[in-house]
Amino acid sequence: MSIFLKVFVIMVFIFLYSPIAVMVLFSFNESKSLGVFTNFSLKWYEKILANPHVWSGLYNSLWVAAVVTVVSIILGLMMALVVTRYNFSGRSILESIILIPIIIPEIAEALSLMVMYIFLNIPMGPMTVIIGHIAFDISYVTVVMRARMIGYDKSVEEAARTLGANEFQTFIRITLPMLYPAILASGLLAFTLSFDDLIKTLFTTGPGFRTLPLIIWSSAARGGVSPELNSLSSFALSISFLFAIFRLRAEKGAGR
Amino acid sequence: MSELYSVELENIVKRFGNVVAVDNVNLKIKENEFFSLIGPSGCGKTTTLRIVAGLEEPDEGVVKLHGKDVTDVPTHKRNIGMVFQHLALFPHMNVFENIAFGLKMKKFPKEEIKRKVREILEIVKLEGLEMRRINQLSGGQQQRVALARALVIEPSVLLLDEPLGALDLKIRQHMMVELKNIQRKVETTFIYVTHDQTEAMTMSDRIAIMKDGRIQQIGTPLQIYYRPVNTFVASFIGEAVNLIEGDVKEDGFMETRLGLVYCPESEIKGKAAIMLRPEVLEIGNKLKDLDNILNGVVQAVIFKGSYVEYRIEVEGTSFIIHKHGVTNTEKIYPVGSRVEIGWKRESSLLIPLD
Ligand SMILES: Nc1ncnc2c1ncn2[C@@H]1O[C@H](COP(=O)(O)OP(=O)(O)OP(=O)(O)O)[C@@H](O)[C@H]1O
Ligand SMILES: [Mg+2]
Repeated sequence: MSIFLKVFVIMVFIFLYSPIAVMVLFSFNESKSLGVFTNFSLKWYEKILANPHVWSGLYNSLWVAAVVTVVSIILGLMMALVVTRYNFSGRSILESIILIPIIIPEIAEALSLMVMYIFLNIPMGPMTVIIGHIAFDISYVTVVMRARMIGYDKSVEEAARTLGANEFQTFIRITLPMLYPAILASGLLAFTLSFDDLIKTLFTTGPGFRTLPLIIWSSAARGGVSPELNSLSSFALSISFLFAIFRLRAEKGAGR
Repeated sequence: MSELYSVELENIVKRFGNVVAVDNVNLKIKENEFFSLIGPSGCGKTTTLRIVAGLEEPDEGVVKLHGKDVTDVPTHKRNIGMVFQHLALFPHMNVFENIAFGLKMKKFPKEEIKRKVREILEIVKLEGLEMRRINQLSGGQQQRVALARALVIEPSVLLLDEPLGALDLKIRQHMMVELKNIQRKVETTFIYVTHDQTEAMTMSDRIAIMKDGRIQQIGTPLQIYYRPVNTFVASFIGEAVNLIEGDVKEDGFMETRLGLVYCPESEIKGKAAIMLRPEVLEIGNKLKDLDNILNGVVQAVIFKGSYVEYRIEVEGTSFIIHKHGVTNTEKIYPVGSRVEIGWKRESSLLIPLD
């Protein structure tokens, strides 16, 4: 690689990560200043970890993401099976429609969900948040699963059938294990998408139900940028980061 | 009492859209028979096999296993073993788990599964590889795992769809001998699909030749080699064949573009072809005691190891002759030399043309 390219790559990384680095750095700053780093301290972390709102937000984010992940995997898996296994008229149209949520702006998704809930007179709360997340995560799960299923050798399932396995046993013992890497990768993707989501949650949540991104958002809206907010964001970041690492490892496994 | 057959296909028809993949096929395969199904690509071999397995539903006709109509019985209740063209081993299981799968589905106790897997591994010569993952095996070993997995459930019939196709020539020849030995040991009916006639000839008790979804002939390797019922079978089987077309004038004579030729006496009248296998033709300078002798010119000489192949042109018609037992002291006729070729009428076969 030429020097020029090396420098270029390094600059891209600086561009990408310096805001995050600054945020994380100042979350450890003792003084309230955002300009000067005085002393290393964990006091802002102590402060947010003592805050019950943070904990309930984290708890809400995690269980919402967990439910969203499980449901999205099941529905996305079925969708992918339908479009890869069966030949029917309108299949290619269905395949395209399912991808649309990936390209439309999130704010439009969020607004459309809210309008629909109001139209149907559904009270907003955890359920509406979960439904909103699922409705769009299915697309991502389907895409990942479908990519994996194309080129899947159907004769492996037929071999199981000749060996005495009925259709259900074949699905449980052969199809699912063979799709396991894809299920893991798309599940972690769905989890991260739900865990990180702010806009759809903001528009579809009800009174009193707040996820971690929502708490960060309202704290920023209220008090502006502060070291406490820095540490809160760093905290949320580290959780997302963890899942991103899992996902990358799972995708590596799926590619093998 | 009628004989009990292992597999019977009666008037089987299978269409895919406009394509008739299997066209009115009738087959009766005997108990413990090594039966091969051969024919060119796309002739319907795989489809026929899949119909026996229940993986494909016939549009018409009846499938019987051991005399029982199983046309509507699903695959997993037919107790047939199948070795797939691309083996279709379970990639997420090791060798033991692959082979044990069928026994587990049939709810055998753990100890018995272990014993049966051990026994079958011995038969296919894979002892000690139980814990290997599939991708840590060679092609020949994977082949054996697929075979063991299908055999361990003691199927009433084993279906093999070009199982040696992916292997190179050396291993293939070796596996052919092994397969035949294994079949003798396990005493199971084998239906073997291939487009390689050498494989079929080597191993089979009987062979069926298919073309365009139809069975052309069923017979022993010898029968289909020396007594083909039509020119398609004559050309498809064996390394090479000479066919001389003509008109049977009267019993024992045929009018051809090479003149009047002695042919075997038979019922056949009118348009027909004389079939001559390359090894029944004589080549020489002063041939004697033969019914037919023609003059020709050597076009090509190909040394094939155990025999010499001559291509000889007789009045615009090309003949292929295999001369066995050539020693290097014996004369090989060079390209361009004039020779006589000849044969006795009883070593030729008359095939009707339609
Ligand atoms: N699922 C299918 N859909 C449509 N056509 C099919 C299908 N399976 C087979 N055919 C057609 O049926 C015919 C017979 O196919 P089949 O696979 O039985 O041939 P084959 O003798 O096994 O050939 P090969 O030696 O190439 O494996 C072919 O013309 C094939 O294109
Ligand atoms: Mg085939």
